[in-house]
Amino acid sequence: MGREARFYVVAGLAYFVVLEMLLVGAVLFWPEFEENLETLRDMAPIAALKGMLDQIGVGGVAAYVNGQHFFKGCNTVGTLAAVVLAMGAVAGEANRGTLEVWLSRPVSRRRLLTERWLGGAAATVVPVFLTTLTIPWLLGFVDAQMAWRVLLLGALHQSLVLLPIYSATFLWSCLASRPIPIAFGMLLFTVFQFSIYLIQDVTHWSYFRLSDLDVFARIGATHALDWKLCGPLLAVTAILFCISLWVFQKRTP
Amino acid sequence: MSPPSDNSDRSIVARGLTRRFGAKVALHPTDLDLGPGGVVGLLGPNGSGKSTLLRMLVGLVRPNAGTATVAGTPLVGDGTAIRKRATYAPGELAVYGELRAREHLAWLLRGRDDKALERALRVASDLGLPVDARVRTYSHGMKRQMLFAAALAPDVPVRILDEPTEGLDPSKRGAVLDMLAEDARRGTTVLLSSHHLGEVDRVCERLVFLGAGRKIADETAASVARRARTFLRIGYAREPGPDIQADVEIARIERIERVLSSLPGTRVVRDGARFAVHLAGDDPCAFLAAACAHPALPPPTTIEYGQLSLQELYRELYGVEGV
Repeated sequence: MGREARFYVVAGLAYFVVLEMLLVGAVLFWPEFEENLETLRDMAPIAALKGMLDQIGVGGVAAYVNGQHFFKGCNTVGTLAAVVLAMGAVAGEANRGTLEVWLSRPVSRRRLLTERWLGGAAATVVPVFLTTLTIPWLLGFVDAQMAWRVLLLGALHQSLVLLPIYSATFLWSCLASRPIPIAFGMLLFTVFQFSIYLIQDVTHWSYFRLSDLDVFARIGATHALDWKLCGPLLAVTAILFCISLWVFQKRTP
Repeated sequence: MSPPSDNSDRSIVARGLTRRFGAKVALHPTDLDLGPGGVVGLLGPNGSGKSTLLRMLVGLVRPNAGTATVAGTPLVGDGTAIRKRATYAPGELAVYGELRAREHLAWLLRGRDDKALERALRVASDLGLPVDARVRTYSHGMKRQMLFAAALAPDVPVRILDEPTEGLDPSKRGAVLDMLAEDARRGTTVLLSSHHLGEVDRVCERLVFLGAGRKIADETAASVARRARTFLRIGYAREPGPDIQADVEIARIERIERVLSSLPGTRVVRDGARFAVHLAGDDPCAFLAAACAHPALPPPTTIEYGQLSLQELYRELYGVEGV
């Protein structure tokens, strides 16, 4: 296995383990959570949280799993993983001084960058799918179930939400020469986005509105992706990747 | 390695190759016609544009103007087509320390033919590199040799090497240069950069001199050596005794300069208590005999002949400061 593939496999595996641990804890906690839902609702300090608990009250285990796995787990750990996987793609080579030797082989820049983008993108989304595939089995421990199709559509939607974050970080990496400022910049951006999600007046500006309980409830109800959301996410990902290629073609080692 | 068939497939041609970084012109319009075959040295001090030129020739840096054809392949796009026909060893010595040398060589040789790794391992072994050790345990010189092994292994008509002997001890430097000379004898065109004249002139048939981003000269190594032989340096000791006044010493040096300048067929440039003497021919005997026999001159303490540093060569031959 090549050094790049090794990095993506190891990082993706670590990310999978963390996501799965969060998921196991969340699913096994479901009976107690359901039992205490009213109390938790009364204790919720802000309206946004009350609203989420109301949705879980209506949607049951499916809403709870969507909230715990996709909205909480994948949006936090997934974003972190996307940033970590993309930030060093090119800036890491420049920072180490290996950019020249990386580019000096008889392999086109387009191919080098596409391979790297695909490796990181796979490491960002495959753990989302793999952990999602374990949900039905985990739900068996708490006598609950969810439809496979809804879960897989949820995982697909969540992946489409993570990919623009990954691609934006990747583009920044193509422009920069140090990965650490990229990590801080992107993490600051996502923390800010999460914080405004919780503020009722500006919540609609939050990126994470694109993968909250409302969205997953719609997927559950329609058994289909909402292409008004997914189409632009896919387009933004593609555009960011194309800009990355263009920038990388012009980059001087 | 099989000799290439067509001469144009083994040459390096550039026309008006230019590169600017912001307001700074790293390389003024430069023409090159190198090969087919042979070792060509690209000489110049740090910042003279050597690496920029080499990187442009293999497509790593895009020229602002001009064209290049390497190994019969025109420079277009990111230069992948050229790098398939020409190997390049970067001057920047940054490698992946976590890999074993064997893995690193395989990584460097991606896109090459199947036998390239075998040959690279053989070159590495000839250079005494432990290929199963992790590269992080390698010294600076060993890393340089590993990059060299990867550049020498593929069966290509052109090799472009940025300071391949930098950081090597004299014996390894000799081994690397011998391998390059052997490769050139098989018909390969080798363009290598250096800022040490004495290191490369023994294998280079041609020398291209760069200074401040401009090509200053492009001539055969024999011609440079011939020109270098028209120079010698002669030095004189200070007048003995602790009480010599500075102005007296200066007057004495000036007197020596006048006398040396009066000797036939010479041009003398003073450098402290040493004198650079430009001879009319390449035989210093008549001048030295006259200088030693002249009653107004003290016996010289140092005489250097035919061993100019790159800096001196630049100053003496081309009238510019090399370093």
